[in-house]
Amino acid sequence: MTVELETPPQWPAARTPTHHRLVFHGRGGSLFGIHIVNVFLTLLTFGVYYFWGKARVRRYLFGQTELDGDRFAFHGHGREMLLGFVKASIVFGLPLTALNWVPQLLHAGTGTKVATTVAAYALVTVLIPVARVGARRYRLSRTSWRGIRFSFRGRTAEFVRLYAAGALLTALTLGLFYPAFTVRNHAFMMRHSYFGNARFDFDGRSNGFLVNFLYAVLLTLPTLGLVWFWFVASQRRYFWDHTTFPGARFRSTVTGGRLLRLKLGNLLLIALTLGLGWPWATTRTARFTCRYVTMEGALDLAAVQQQTQMATATGEGLLGLFEADLDLG
Amino acid sequence: MTWTGHYLDGRSADRRRATVRLTATGLEITTDGGATRRWPYAEIRQTQGSYTGEPVRLERGGEAAESLTIDDVSLLTALRQAAPRRRARFHDPRARRLRIPLTLAAGLAAIGLAAILYRWAIPAMAGVAAWFVPVAWEVRVGDAVFDRMARPESRCKDPERQRVIDTILARVVEKQGTGPYHLRVTVMDGREVNAFALPGGQIVLLRGLLDITDSPEMLAGVLAHEVQHVLRRHTTRAIIQHASTGLMVAAIAGDVSGLVAFALEGARVVGALGYSRRAEEEADAEGMRMLLEAGIDPSGFITFFENLGRQRESVELHGVWRYLSTHPSGGDRVETLRGLARGAASPPVRLMPNYDWKDVKRICSVA
Repeated sequence: MTVELETPPQWPAARTPTHHRLVFHGRGGSLFGIHIVNVFLTLLTFGVYYFWGKARVRRYLFGQTELDGDRFAFHGHGREMLLGFVKASIVFGLPLTALNWVPQLLHAGTGTKVATTVAAYALVTVLIPVARVGARRYRLSRTSWRGIRFSFRGRTAEFVRLYAAGALLTALTLGLFYPAFTVRNHAFMMRHSYFGNARFDFDGRSNGFLVNFLYAVLLTLPTLGLVWFWFVASQRRYFWDHTTFPGARFRSTVTGGRLLRLKLGNLLLIALTLGLGWPWATTRTARFTCRYVTMEGALDLAAVQQQTQMATATGEGLLGLFEADLDLG
Repeated sequence: MTWTGHYLDGRSADRRRATVRLTATGLEITTDGGATRRWPYAEIRQTQGSYTGEPVRLERGGEAAESLTIDDVSLLTALRQAAPRRRARFHDPRARRLRIPLTLAAGLAAIGLAAILYRWAIPAMAGVAAWFVPVAWEVRVGDAVFDRMARPESRCKDPERQRVIDTILARVVEKQGTGPYHLRVTVMDGREVNAFALPGGQIVLLRGLLDITDSPEMLAGVLAHEVQHVLRRHTTRAIIQHASTGLMVAAIAGDVSGLVAFALEGARVVGALGYSRRAEEEADAEGMRMLLEAGIDPSGFITFFENLGRQRESVELHGVWRYLSTHPSGGDRVETLRGLARGAASPPVRLMPNYDWKDVKRICSVA
């Protein structure tokens, strides 16, 4: 039996350090100042200012996030987000509303009602992946670090196929396919994400945390559902630990207990203040995310070249129609 | 005076240490290699550095902009002096002292504005918007709800007693008319003391309510109240108000999901109760006017609410509770109605003097 000696890695001296930390500097009080002005102007303009407010909040959150001595930056504008929302409402929201209401208003027969309900579900199954891809494309294209833009280059049709097939399989296997479904979605999102011309990659396997999932299902009743915090934490660790960037690998140290504390604290912060505690909950979440994610390895930044990609805010607007804003956790 | 920071060319992620100097026409940036760049003031924009602890970031160019980051905010003050015509583009670090009072002012203004919107603007807007909803839509929605709520087997269909109720309804609306609405009253077999009006003209009475009426005038009062809900489109208004308050809550609480959204929905329901009270008061007042114009004795309407209040005290009837929780409280309501009834002109004619009123209560007993 031979003993393998660990040889220390020999990085060229000029390379960046091997341990990269994300640091969030933002404070709830500062964000509250931004938020309360946004609330006032949103009420005053009957909602129109909402999108400008959203852009301001993101500019603040990104500007307060630091990696290796440089801040991230958000370059989106309220105007494009408003246009994206209007476009999404007209192109996607109207048909969906029509499918829900027309049979009621026309006194349609049972057959027509069933048909329109099925059509509405099918449309949503297509629109959710369209929204997710569109929103990611928009957000990454408006994000930069060290002056280099991120981008997402996955094809929408490909993700719709992946998502629809996954959703169907999950339903047919009574949820057993769910872990593989989320891994596939995440892999698609990561493998088509770029920083300049450098691509992110994901090397997780579809059944990577199937066992954890089964444990979580079995322990749901005995733990009153709390086991799902542990599951979500293990899922996040799995996702980050298998995500790479040229020269580096991500690492996550999040645990279920920490996640539970975060979520419980945020719930109290918001519910007890009737919503006014939102800025503190948001900065807590951002700090949490940054604290438990690191990047290890010699980042290969010298080879990164700027490569900007076009993106509209329609997907962003569409996602806004379906679900709340992106969860930074 | 010079400042030191980092320069990025917007093409690579390679950052270079840089020294910055202000000249009469622009910034002069010298990077470590010795290369010097000049940025005219007109082409510079500030994208970060307005908050404590955030380095100043200046950019020049389009999407792949060059950028300069400097920790020292005194650069901003110097920039504002060097380029006075463009000073509005650069954040004034002294303005940070005003942030706390400004935040407080904005907070108070937001609370005031939310109160104004809730109390006046949203009801006024919903009142106007409701008139643009076609009556045909109201009828369809009302009919759909009616079909789901009043199952055919629980409807009381005795034709003779139904005719008595229809006669009273016809007398109530005789003078004012019903506008574009075709009103229909249905009695449902249930012990609850309740009545409700659906958009489009369906009015549902529960047998429990009929049981506590002693005269045709009492029923006329209840019907006048419900008819006003239909004519004034209260349900349509409530739907529009509900959607508007939802948007308002979303504006105040930012983007939330899950349990938090659920908690906020509670606040919205409490808000909706305030609106429904006002609709009830309006239906009372306008219903009373309708009775007086039709020459119906208003004391029946008033006695009905007095009886309701008394029953709440004596008998434990959960149905009465339900009715009162969504309707104005007994005592005040009776007082208000008395005040309104004082305007009665000529002595009223009794409704159906030759009819034994107890008979109508058997409407659900006949198959």
